[in-house]
Amino acid sequence: MHEPSRRRFSLGIDIGGTFTDIVVYDHVQGRRFSRKVLTTHDNPSRGVVEGVDRVLAEDGVPAAEIGRVVHATTLFTNAMIERKGAVTGLVTTAGFRDALEIGRERKYELYDVHIEKPKPLVPRHLRAEVPERMDARGAVRIPLDEAALETVVDGLVHDGVTSIAVAFLHAYANPAHEHAAAAVIARRFPDLAVSTSSDVAPEIREYERTSTAVANAYIKPLARTYLDAIAAQLARRGIAAPLLLMISNGGLTHVEEAKRVPVQLLESGPAAGALAAAWFGAEDAGGDVLAFDMGGTTAKLSVVDGGKPLVAYHFEAARQKRFAEGSGLPIRISTIELIEIGAGGGSIAHLDVIGLLKVGPESAGSEPGPAAYGLGGAKPTVTDADFVLGYLNPDFFAGGSMAIDMAAAHAAIAEVANEASLSVEQLAWGIHDVVNENMASAARVHIAERGKDPRRYALLCTGGGGPLHAYYVAKKLNLKRIVCPSSAGVASAIGLLIAPAKVDRVATVAQRLDALDWAEFEATFARLEADARRVVGETGLDPATARIERMADIRYVGQAFEIVVDLPPGPYNACSLPELMVAFETAYVEKFTRTPPAVSVEIINVRVLVAAPVPGGELAIRAAARIAAAPIKGYRRMYFPEWSEHREAPVFDRYAMAAGDSFEGPGVVEERESTLVIGPGATFRVSESGNLVVDLP
Amino acid sequence: MTANKEHRAVSSPAFDAVTLEVIWRRMISAADEAGKTLQRTSFSTLVNESNDFACVLTDARGQSLVQNTDSIPSFIGSLPITVKHFLEVIGVDDMAPGDFLVCNDPWVATGHLNDITIAKPIFRGGRLIGFAASTAHAPDIGGKVRSVVAREVFEEGFHIPAMHLMRRGEPDATLFKLLRAAVRTPDQTEGDIWAQVTGLNLMESRVHELMDEYGLANLDAFAAEIHGRCETAMRKAIAGVPDGRYEHGLTTDGVGHPFTFKVTVTIDGDRCIIDYTGTEAQVGRAINCCMTYTFAMSAYAMKAALLPDLPNNEGIFHTIEVTAPEGTIVNPRRPVAVGGRMATGHYLPPLIFGALAQVLPDKVMAAAGSPLWSIIQTGVDAAGRTYANTLFFNGGTGATAKVDGQNCFSWPSNISNVPIELVERNTPLFVGMKRLRDGSGGPGRRRGGLGQEIEITVESETAVGIIFMAERLTYPAQGLNGGEPGALGEVLIDGRPTDVRADHVLTKGQTITLRTPGGGGFEDPTGREVDLHDADRRAGYA
Repeated sequence: MHEPSRRRFSLGIDIGGTFTDIVVYDHVQGRRFSRKVLTTHDNPSRGVVEGVDRVLAEDGVPAAEIGRVVHATTLFTNAMIERKGAVTGLVTTAGFRDALEIGRERKYELYDVHIEKPKPLVPRHLRAEVPERMDARGAVRIPLDEAALETVVDGLVHDGVTSIAVAFLHAYANPAHEHAAAAVIARRFPDLAVSTSSDVAPEIREYERTSTAVANAYIKPLARTYLDAIAAQLARRGIAAPLLLMISNGGLTHVEEAKRVPVQLLESGPAAGALAAAWFGAEDAGGDVLAFDMGGTTAKLSVVDGGKPLVAYHFEAARQKRFAEGSGLPIRISTIELIEIGAGGGSIAHLDVIGLLKVGPESAGSEPGPAAYGLGGAKPTVTDADFVLGYLNPDFFAGGSMAIDMAAAHAAIAEVANEASLSVEQLAWGIHDVVNENMASAARVHIAERGKDPRRYALLCTGGGGPLHAYYVAKKLNLKRIVCPSSAGVASAIGLLIAPAKVDRVATVAQRLDALDWAEFEATFARLEADARRVVGETGLDPATARIERMADIRYVGQAFEIVVDLPPGPYNACSLPELMVAFETAYVEKFTRTPPAVSVEIINVRVLVAAPVPGGELAIRAAARIAAAPIKGYRRMYFPEWSEHREAPVFDRYAMAAGDSFEGPGVVEERESTLVIGPGATFRVSESGNLVVDLP
Repeated sequence: MTANKEHRAVSSPAFDAVTLEVIWRRMISAADEAGKTLQRTSFSTLVNESNDFACVLTDARGQSLVQNTDSIPSFIGSLPITVKHFLEVIGVDDMAPGDFLVCNDPWVATGHLNDITIAKPIFRGGRLIGFAASTAHAPDIGGKVRSVVAREVFEEGFHIPAMHLMRRGEPDATLFKLLRAAVRTPDQTEGDIWAQVTGLNLMESRVHELMDEYGLANLDAFAAEIHGRCETAMRKAIAGVPDGRYEHGLTTDGVGHPFTFKVTVTIDGDRCIIDYTGTEAQVGRAINCCMTYTFAMSAYAMKAALLPDLPNNEGIFHTIEVTAPEGTIVNPRRPVAVGGRMATGHYLPPLIFGALAQVLPDKVMAAAGSPLWSIIQTGVDAAGRTYANTLFFNGGTGATAKVDGQNCFSWPSNISNVPIELVERNTPLFVGMKRLRDGSGGPGRRRGGLGQEIEITVESETAVGIIFMAERLTYPAQGLNGGEPGALGEVLIDGRPTDVRADHVLTKGQTITLRTPGGGGFEDPTGREVDLHDADRRAGYA
């Protein structure tokens, strides 16, 4: 791994729903470029290989000069949403095979009498029970009945199961029975994929842990086939650098670890985006960034604090009702904290039954798409509004590659405007304003959950719609600065090129802090750290370069939610008690403003993160040189709420801007993939790193 | 509880389709932020695992504007009533910035002492403009722990009439001292009050920010606008139902003798009157349901049937008139006991749906295997500490014209179970099994949801007091339009049926078995598609 670091190129591969992006960074010239190919859904590695071959053949990148290959993919997420994973079986403690189906018994919508719970990934006839039992302290109450296990597994295999999850009660406290069961299954059926809950998500709460283990089992055979295929194909092309995978927490891991716990890869694409945001925001936003990525159907928001994207320890996959919290399958892994809302360029505007303007989550998609595309769409969308407001340029959409039907956009908006007794202009602004409020409200609640004040963040905008909507989203959140990287439409793939290797491990302790066995506590951390370092070592990195962080999920006794607290470095002993208490109380007060009356504190889970930089991850992108001459390439009538009408405003040419240039709003800045909107009274400049930095009035 | 008939929708030009949408969404996010804060800082699993709480923003008259998205139906309906009560008995003149008001009087709050309602008056420019308010189920409130054995409310715990919790930021130390002495979990009960206070402070500051931004001096015009629009929409929906008197009745397990429930839903143009005349007289047991709760459950059912997609507010409440003779179990007189009021109140939505099924069969659900079940255990642990734990268990929901009933799903309330692994860690109980009850869903073209079976063994060296809340042991959840009833619930101690209305003391090794009821089916089972039959058989549901 040290040798490849001196090689010239790094490669990022991102498989999305429509396109597969190959992004390349040239360490010698300090420049990046990319290739786009259609995603090949029947066999996704084909599209990847096609894209890589083009990079090798057409961009003059020799395979031997590639020192780093990082891959992100939404394949596994889609397999869960489309229910196209393996036929999966589940083995549980006798008496509890239905825990997966019973779930938490709570509605995600209060008033809908036709509501349906999310269907479990394993149907009931493929869920089997075996006699065994641990108690809450991890002591064996009933030994594992291996003969019974063999019988039920034979039955599951007979029913066509190719992957099995094993989830026993209290396995987070003592995994011995799960390990024994996995060994029995492996002995009997060596080809069967096996996932144990203690291995995948060793945390208390049986439903959530089982759900995570089952999700892992569901995608494991797919991960094995796909990852082996793509690694082999890259090697065949003479790329010696090992294939690394982006995982949900924004780190990298190697192929074997990804095959073992593929559920870690579910949010790999968005994680790359959040990392990119942190990277772009480091210089121009002081490290505290609200990352805002808006595309055609959804917007994604994530929070970066002090240069680090916030990490959550649970999320939901494959929601029954899109965007409805509680309607998905709970997954307990560490992941970049991300909210997704149904707000994109294609989001459709309409009046609801009480005459309010609603925007989304229904989307016109790309077929028929916004009315302005002239492909038959008649309903007004966010993109149509952005055309009517003058923000988007009908002659330069997608770099001028697409003809725009302005009359159709007007007509679609006029219809709803009439219904609302508003002018076309007012309604177009209304669509812009409402979709911005949807995103701002989601951001506010999300940030409140973390007990933070939104005003300290800069808004970092990416995606086709991010730069268009950032200005008035920032105003709603009282943010003072917007940072817009160049090529904002495809900027998120850069996360792949800079990510460090990361391994995290968790164990449930569930002890009161004042009654802790400190030797055992320290031993738990040491065990987790050793295991995490081992995986970092297997990635080909020098464990000596690794940074270790200790964290713990701590709460007051009686609370059911823990907060994740960054702990001081170890090792710990009985004298560490006050230090740990201070760490917890500081974090608690930051989040909830006050500590409650004297109550004991307990540690539920301990967490370890081992991160090591991957050679080749140091990028230095500088502002591009001026290509065009005049910074203002024309004027267009645009609407700004400060004016309450359309007036002439300048259209800036991003390709005519160089580091140090500064300008005043209002206006828009156009580049091929995106358009940045700047309101009256704002100033903006090009920073040394090539970002556009907008300071709001 | 009558509707405000004077109120009629007026559309103000100040609030067009856009401005109103944006302000409204901001208000909801303020309530959501408060809810998230309350939930994550509270101490009882009732709030933080089981979601037994709500946060509401009202206008200066105590009329509901918005509530947090995760609220439970009962509190949504009762909270505005409590705020209006504060206005009535405390009065605006005795309210100041930094004040917090508190109350758990069942007749003006949620129907039992266990829920603590706190409201913070919001002032702007020296004028009261609204209230940030929340209700949370306290970990313990003392007394008989909702045992049905209680005859009068005086036996049921610590009673807080409408009064100040804090004046200008200063807590009433005497109140806290008395409360702490009266409950089994002083730290947790007090901790949850502080969690409520923290949430309300956040809601208040968010409302101020919003009003600054939009230059609003008060919330009156906004309130009139959203109430007007929702009221108009709801009246339109009501007017779409053919005029008539729709009656329905049912019989429930009762206490000592079965109870009779009767409802008449009268649709007269755009008016809807729900009357419970003919329902059982109040009983000297803790199962009476105060009018606040009766109203909340009735409003929930009507909105679910007629206008499920709109956000809820006082405008919806204006359209629904609920009447019940005083002295019935759905409108009892003081000071009768009321602790287990949900065991009565949860029957009201299926009762109303039974009446509406005659004209709106596609918009209602067959009866669910609710009221919500729970067991409450209290005692003194080996270390000498007192404790109280509540565990919840849901049955199956009823089938609808579109979908089968859901297995083990909370309805009409919205209360989660507590994970088995937490139960075993936090209580001296061992859970031997928790599984779906095969065959418990009522047959129908659409099948009722399945209940569950749980086996719990006491492992404590000290005696454990157990109180059951369990219904539908003798009268099942009925099907609709030819659908068949769900299975009856069963409660056993050491394998023998037990009297759930009595208090029990269990010792080490004794085992409780709970089998929650299944939901009712919808339409004749012979109409069920063959593939659905096969799927049921394969899964073992039927």
